[in-house]
Amino acid sequence: MNNLSQEGLADWAGPILQGALTTLEIAVLAYAIGLALGLVGASARLSPWAPIRGLATLYSTAVRAVPELLLIILLYYAGSQALTAVTNAMGFSGQVAINGFVTAVGVLAFVQGAYMTEVLRGAILAIPRGQLEAADAFGFSAWARFRRIVVPAMLPNALPGMSNLWLILIKDTALISVIGYSELFFTIQQAAASTRAHFLFYAAAGVIYLAMTLSSTALFARLERYLRRGQPTTEET
Amino acid sequence: MTSSLDDHTPTATAAPAVQARHLVKRYGDLEVLRDVSLEVPEGSVTSIIGASGSGKSTLLRCLNLLERPDQGDLAIADEAIRFDRNPQGDVVGLDRRQLQRLRAKVSMVFQQFNLWPHFSVLGNVTEAPMRVQGLSRRRATEVAEHYLARVGMADKRDAYPAFLSGGQQQRVAIARALAMEPRLLLFDEPTSALDPERVNEVLGVIRGLADEGRTMVLVTHEMAFAREVSDQVVFLDRGVIGVAGTPEEVFDDPRCQRFAAPAA
Repeated sequence: MNNLSQEGLADWAGPILQGALTTLEIAVLAYAIGLALGLVGASARLSPWAPIRGLATLYSTAVRAVPELLLIILLYYAGSQALTAVTNAMGFSGQVAINGFVTAVGVLAFVQGAYMTEVLRGAILAIPRGQLEAADAFGFSAWARFRRIVVPAMLPNALPGMSNLWLILIKDTALISVIGYSELFFTIQQAAASTRAHFLFYAAAGVIYLAMTLSSTALFARLERYLRRGQPTTEET
Repeated sequence: MTSSLDDHTPTATAAPAVQARHLVKRYGDLEVLRDVSLEVPEGSVTSIIGASGSGKSTLLRCLNLLERPDQGDLAIADEAIRFDRNPQGDVVGLDRRQLQRLRAKVSMVFQQFNLWPHFSVLGNVTEAPMRVQGLSRRRATEVAEHYLARVGMADKRDAYPAFLSGGQQQRVAIARALAMEPRLLLFDEPTSALDPERVNEVLGVIRGLADEGRTMVLVTHEMAFAREVSDQVVFLDRGVIGVAGTPEEVFDDPRCQRFAAPAA
């Protein structure tokens, strides 16, 4: 670190790409878990059983109301303190550190799940009643009805909202830098501070985020075309 | 293979396909069905006619329990159920297993077709036999192709429902119902959502099924058709059976004539 001035983009390319990869890993995992949470949450929000409905409403309302940055810090610091207290009480001494990757995925998935719950709930409510009634009339079990009719019928409605959430999620991974986990944004901060070429590195970060979001937008567009294959035109619906 | 598919001759039981006794259905304070009793012999066609709001669709939907009667006895395809209220006021008399068993034996054709838009024509017809009856894909496809040919839709097997006319969609919906090889077929105003020029292609298919001796109950506004294909006609008037009997008896009855005269 003696010859700072000679360090440039090329020297940092490796760590930055590594950071970008980590960001993608965090985002993909958090999205997948968030999607699962959203399916459970949306089903619970539409459950005929009031306590289940209440619990799901509490989840989606509370989580969406609190800044994600606060949740990340809460879970990371408060979480490790709580775990330390528990392990100390059990007779182990020392600090427990929560893995940064696990925190990142966990918090972002938890938040995604709350937003996803609402996106999927709306999409399920938009399914024409007759399609569900037909499944009932043919004696589908609740699970067969959900998997074979509800999910494929609501996905075309949900996809624009889901693609929105994915874009927001990619950008939200930058928040993970506050706990010092070296995803893309944290690595960029390090590089910029170390070389003092702030503009260069932050611009590079912008380009990388842009590349990620643009390519995933294209993927979502293809997915939507596939999911709407049974519909005459995409414009009409 | 095809002959076994068409073999739906009634089993040698004397019990009627449907026996409904004293059915009552309420929505809040509104009594939609007031003590309705109905018997449908195996292999016969029953038409339910009546003005809008007379409860005819509700009665039909009670036969596959899309509507749950509040009171009464229902015996359909060897499943007997008694509906009543427990002391807490909840309707009792049905467990989920029995519900699914009954529905697997009773197929319905809807006014709005209700095909699943994310499945192809073939997928719509194979779905219930595979998921509900556990047929293999190969076997379900054989059955589906047979019934699609039966309704004249074999050449559209790979199309999606939204690309078909209403009459074609309804014929696919009939094939979907037939593929379950049901003991009882229910039709809920099957031609009411169709353009006039599409009505006959659907009525033709239903007429063919009646001629095969299938057990069917249909709610319809097509009076001439009801008169032609039915063994029994039930005229429902504000939640009670006004007149029931052979088509001649019902359509010639003065109580029914005010309603059905123009067509009959």
